[in-house]
Amino acid sequence: MSMLLRAELLKLRTTRTFVALVGSALGLSLLSVVLVVLLNDSFTETDSRELFTSDFSPLFILVLGIMGLAGEWRHRTITGTILAAPDRLRLLSAKVLAYAAAGALLSAIVTVSIMVVGSLLLSIGDKTTVGIADLADVLWRNLLIAALLGALGVCVGGLLRNQIVAIVGVLVLWFAVEPIVYGLDPDVGKYAPIGYAPNGILGFIPFTEDKPLDEVTAILVMLGWIGLFFALTAQTLRSRDLV
Amino acid sequence: MFGCAIMPAVPPVEIENLTKRFGSVEAVKDLSFDIEPGRVTGFLGPNGAGKSTTLRALLGLVRPSAGSATFDGHHYEQLDRPSTHVGAVLEDAAFHPGRSGRNHLRVLAVTGDHPQSRVEEVLGIVGLTDAADRPAKGYSMGMRQRLAIASALLGDPQVLILDEPTNGLDPPGIAWMRDLVRGQAREGRAVLISSHLLAEVAQSVDDVVIIAKGRLRARGTLEQVLGGDEGTSTEVRAREIDRLAQSLQAHGHRVQRDGEALLVLGVAPEQVGEVAAAERVALRYLAPRARSLEAAFLELTADDGAPAWEVPA
Repeated sequence: MSMLLRAELLKLRTTRTFVALVGSALGLSLLSVVLVVLLNDSFTETDSRELFTSDFSPLFILVLGIMGLAGEWRHRTITGTILAAPDRLRLLSAKVLAYAAAGALLSAIVTVSIMVVGSLLLSIGDKTTVGIADLADVLWRNLLIAALLGALGVCVGGLLRNQIVAIVGVLVLWFAVEPIVYGLDPDVGKYAPIGYAPNGILGFIPFTEDKPLDEVTAILVMLGWIGLFFALTAQTLRSRDLV
Repeated sequence: MFGCAIMPAVPPVEIENLTKRFGSVEAVKDLSFDIEPGRVTGFLGPNGAGKSTTLRALLGLVRPSAGSATFDGHHYEQLDRPSTHVGAVLEDAAFHPGRSGRNHLRVLAVTGDHPQSRVEEVLGIVGLTDAADRPAKGYSMGMRQRLAIASALLGDPQVLILDEPTNGLDPPGIAWMRDLVRGQAREGRAVLISSHLLAEVAQSVDDVVIIAKGRLRARGTLEQVLGGDEGTSTEVRAREIDRLAQSLQAHGHRVQRDGEALLVLGVAPEQVGEVAAAERVALRYLAPRARSLEAAFLELTADDGAPAWEVPA
């Protein structure tokens, strides 16, 4: 298992995709932080804390996770991958763990960067900053969300196999379907896998005063979604003929 | 100093009563054969004969509907570090376009727990060292094929499965492949090679398995299959060609007219010469004519209802 995990991490490091996504996530997150700090005069401690959740890495790691397995079909490398690692369940497990680790790493890079830049800008503007303990609290939540969405992305990619359909599908789910469901019934919507359950881990729902799931429940809900998609993907992957 | 080769009790590759159905289509029907170490076995059949399905069943990529396909008695999925047992090049070998050849092999080396030094060794064997750091998307078809072969050789396996390995190779590349395959067999490996290039196969293989419509049509050594039920024939030319033909037929030989020559089926030149001498017919040409693999292949795969036959060893 450790060899498979190492191989998957090496795969990530040996294409430009991961570097490009780190760059994109970092650029977008920094831009967001800079604009928010410059365009707002007053910051409460809560505002400043929420500023550092402007980490776009969950979006990118979700896409990267999808590409991690759906891309094997897109580039027709799945045959070679399964020849090298014929136990398909272990292969899927290794990919899930690798992309969870990649998500955490990506989020660590982005979150620490926006914390450094954001804190600097807040200090220069003589605005309320956030203490080290709060920063650490935001950091682990961001890392956990990115890790969970990386794992979920792999499972979704393996289930749908078509990379474009999977990426478009999760974006539509994230930005259209989940908000609609939440708007119709918040008690149901807050269990949604991509946007609202992760908000429970963050501890707030952006742009609302609504109370999300508590963090333990949110983590369990996310693990439940990952487990469901993992089981469906594993079943599909194991039973499918590669012709 | 003398060594003693111990033949394994279980063949390195054994396909036993393999059947694979895709819906109502039976791609492979009750197929059985095995291959031996130290020999190259050609696996031949027309398009759609079930060759690729058989190889994919052997490699655990498709699930057999019935029967089994094993390596040393084990299914591919059961092999510990499969790349040390089996190296495979499939027809649709593909690589991530953005990953270099060297990095592709590094990933496989990590997966199979092979030393990174082995990556450099196989790059050298296939002649890709200079291009190893280029992304695979820039590789020619021949270079991709060499990279696929390097991947198969990475674990120094005892069995090589090669599906159309000369695809995309230029003539020097084909000759290189032939030498590589023969070299692997000389070192004691079992090689199963599927190809539609019959002339090329004929120069490389020791044994032949021919299938059509998913069924076994023939198996045996190359010589046995080429001999088939006719054996070696003799081509003969003479001034009195019609009288010679009548004489040969009178001696019970089967004769076919082939332009200015006669083809005497299943008879050695010595026997034809004896008949001609006895009948006092002057000969202008007398030589054996081996049946080509192509001719054998076409005969064996022409009749869908033909029973499978196995050439006695």
